[in-house]
Amino acid sequence: MTTLFEILSALCLAGGGFFCIVGGIGLLRMPDFYTRVHAASLTETLGAGLILLGLMLHEGFTLVTVKLLMIGLLIFFASPTASHALTRAALLRGLKPLLDGPAENK
Amino acid sequence: MKVGVTEGNPRGTGGTATLALRAGLFALLWWILAEGRLDAWWLGAVGVAAATWASLRLAPPGALNIRVVPLLRFLAFFVWNSLRGGAQVAFMALRPRPDLAPALLELELVLPPGTPRVLMLNTLGLMPGTLGVRLDAATLRLHVLDARLPVAAEARALEAHIARLFGAAA
Repeated sequence: MTTLFEILSALCLAGGGFFCIVGGIGLLRMPDFYTRVHAASLTETLGAGLILLGLMLHEGFTLVTVKLLMIGLLIFFASPTASHALTRAALLRGLKPLLDGPAENK
Repeated sequence: MKVGVTEGNPRGTGGTATLALRAGLFALLWWILAEGRLDAWWLGAVGVAAATWASLRLAPPGALNIRVVPLLRFLAFFVWNSLRGGAQVAFMALRPRPDLAPALLELELVLPPGTPRVLMLNTLGLMPGTLGVRLDAATLRLHVLDARLPVAAEARALEAHIARLFGAAA
């Protein structure tokens, strides 16, 4: 039973790490501001989410798990608020999003 | 969110009950964070008082009535769509030539104003591939990474989940 949780925990941590790295790569490679924010949401939701889940599975049901849950809740409210504030400000200041078909992407 | 769930039951009770409940929950949270140590209880008391004041200010008593079963279904929907959207965005980011079709979509929300709409905006912002850029009254403007995907249908499904979460009228 313990080993099962350890394996699941390791899988979640590895997956979280993978999404964090890919989010970083996406941040560099995406063509404009708005699409980059999408890449950042990858890091926040799946990266942080899976790492937190992995740590919770590793800890079992302890006070640490409750703390991790609180961190998760904080991310759930704070990160989309931040990305919304950024993109809304950009749109209101007149930054035009790249809107085109697939062919025009370099 | 936890606060809203527990407040679903004592509907109609006055502000004092809400105040006591929230202060109690924040105190419990402090106790958990401090791992039961009481060395800096005065700091905790200040924190609890500030948090309770802010919560009463920002979410007046009785505004929310979150239902449990729809909450679980909403969470399942959210996790599944995040994983799927995340895989799609990761794939796009890793391709030698990113193949995107970014677009702005406009969606007329049928959700009631306030928390349900904000939750919709938040959830869309967390799910990779969609991003709420602007919310004017009931019009939500979304930025999507790939307009070839059925994003509008997914957003409608999410909206239905949130509507059930708060009951018909929130």
